Amino acid sequence: MKLLTATNRYYVLLASLLFTIGSALLYFGVLWALQGEVEERLFQQRDYLRREVRRTGHLPGTPFEGRMQLSARPLPEVLRDVLLLEPLENELEPYRQLTFRLQLNGQTRWVSLSKSLLETEDVRRLIEWLLLGVLGTLLVSMVLLNRWLARCLWAPFERTLQQLSAYDVRQYQVLQLPGTRIEEFAQLNLTLTRLSERVAADYASLKEFTENAAHETRTPLAIMQAKLEQLLQLPDLPAPAGPLVADLYAAVQRLARLHQGLTLLSKIENQQFAAAVPVHLQQLLTEKLLQLEEFIEDKQLRLETSLPMTEALQLHPALADSLVSNLLHNAIRHNHPGGLLRVVLTAKELTISNTGPVLAATQNPAQFFERFRKHNPSSDSPGLGLSIVHGIASFYGFEVRYEYAAEQALHTLRVMF
Amino acid sequence: MGGWAGHQKVFRFAAYFASYILSRPPVKLLIVEDEPALRSSLVEYLRQDGYVVEVAVSYGEAHEKIKLYRYDCVLLDLTLPDGNGLDVLRTLKADNSPAGVLIISARGALDDKVLGLELGADDYLAKPFHLSELSARLKAIIRRRQFQGQRQLLFQELTVFPDQAQVLVHGAPVVLTRKEYDLLLYLLTHPGRVLTKESIAEHVWGDAADAADSFDFLYTHLKNLRRKLQDKGAADYIRSVYGVGYKFSAE
Repeated sequence: MKLLTATNRYYVLLASLLFTIGSALLYFGVLWALQGEVEERLFQQRDYLRREVRRTGHLPGTPFEGRMQLSARPLPEVLRDVLLLEPLENELEPYRQLTFRLQLNGQTRWVSLSKSLLETEDVRRLIEWLLLGVLGTLLVSMVLLNRWLARCLWAPFERTLQQLSAYDVRQYQVLQLPGTRIEEFAQLNLTLTRLSERVAADYASLKEFTENAAHETRTPLAIMQAKLEQLLQLPDLPAPAGPLVADLYAAVQRLARLHQGLTLLSKIENQQFAAAVPVHLQQLLTEKLLQLEEFIEDKQLRLETSLPMTEALQLHPALADSLVSNLLHNAIRHNHPGGLLRVVLTAKELTISNTGPVLAATQNPAQFFERFRKHNPSSDSPGLGLSIVHGIASFYGFEVRYEYAAEQALHTLRVMF
Repeated sequence: MGGWAGHQKVFRFAAYFASYILSRPPVKLLIVEDEPALRSSLVEYLRQDGYVVEVAVSYGEAHEKIKLYRYDCVLLDLTLPDGNGLDVLRTLKADNSPAGVLIISARGALDDKVLGLELGADDYLAKPFHLSELSARLKAIIRRRQFQGQRQLLFQELTVFPDQAQVLVHGAPVVLTRKEYDLLLYLLTHPGRVLTKESIAEHVWGDAADAADSFDFLYTHLKNLRRKLQDKGAADYIRSVYGVGYKFSAE
């Protein structure tokens, strides 16, 4: 519900309520006053009649413009509303009737004086129409006014909202919000602009930090690697030193890979891969499997694929590559010789299954998505592969599931688009 | 130390000798790198490869040198204390310099790589890198620029035509798989050097080598390559260096 609709609703409710009460009071007040007037006239006529009867001993000849009836039967002395037949129009019409006792020639008679309420009725109807008309006009104009307000006054707010929903911090943009006469909106726009400036600056400095950190670590790694490589070239290097240096070299390599993986993860988390192109996973998988052919053959893996042409996904090419490579490398690396590698692509998901190490009942497969979790703690791999898969998948809003079928020791990774 | 200096001398002599045989001036390189330790390694390794190497430690110096002298190839670090290495590349391209450019960057950001190659760099290598990989890429750049498909690599009875991916032993062609050929070419471009298993695997297989849980596959492929060469009557030049890797050597 729009804010304006909500406030409108309350306005209309309150206005209707007040108007109804006011109308009722006015209506009944006017009716009461009119009826009072009629009754006063009836009492005046009664007093006149009594006076005349006392003075002359009989009723005056001319009846009043209303009606007068004499009755010998005792009647209750009250004021009441009655309907009497109007002989001219042959209709029943409302009258106010006053009945009182009168001593006439020593006899007790009951006189009923009636006075038409038809004028009162007209006034009542007029009031009804007037009130309805005014109330209706008021409500309709209120709704119209609010509509107009919504269009004109709230327009800057709507524009702000539009810009906000299109805001993307990855483009370092600062919100350019239009000026407005309305103080609250102007303040809102100013605050948002400042906020976006801060966010853009923070984002830039975060990115810079990540890059600087990467740079600062990469340089010493490069030095270590280069020096070790030079050391290995020395002709005088004692034979036992070779493997020692080689181990060091391998360790530096591991560190470099680890660093690479962590940098990639932090970049994904900082959403630094905004660009996306249509990627056909079918092509990418085919290409990667071809590159990995030798490793699949070396392990004598049974490769089962189902790679139908599916719709392209909007992905960053490097992330798509990393996702597919990590999944396949993982499935080959942890496979045992002669095992199974199954790659199934559908429009909805990519499933990669491989036979592999038996998991203990205490090992929850989901924990392999955590950083540095490995089947085999002494393995050379940095244990970031599945974290990267997970990071990329969540970046694109895909769900990843790790399923383990104990009877065949079959590990299945399912990426659901 | 005396042994080392002597060894260096042999290398240099070999390099000059080679350049003399091929009757062409030595290839002149400019290394733009602000990190002294890394710079010294690069200089030493590349001098041993027979290049004439000059260095620039800052953007200012690099800019001055490329304006004053001509180089065959520039090794360019992007993050310099007083400027961006990409500007050196821009200057080179603006001057229509024939120099090849190999970017060695620590930033590793994809944008840098894309931008560098778009600006006209020949290749891009992220730190940390294998010196042997750097040297292989450098050779590839120079080969592409100077010989335009005329080049052949000679090693004893072996002849390799890199542009046709053809290998001859005593003039007779040998049929190799793509990977075996890549292996041979990598070994052949580093005669006498110890090549680590990591650098060979990375050069030939790239990231795909991650799928293997050991370097055993390397052994299998080298064994096949050896066998194919020997079947054609070549001597065995692929020496295994215990615990480290391999070396291509006639000794």
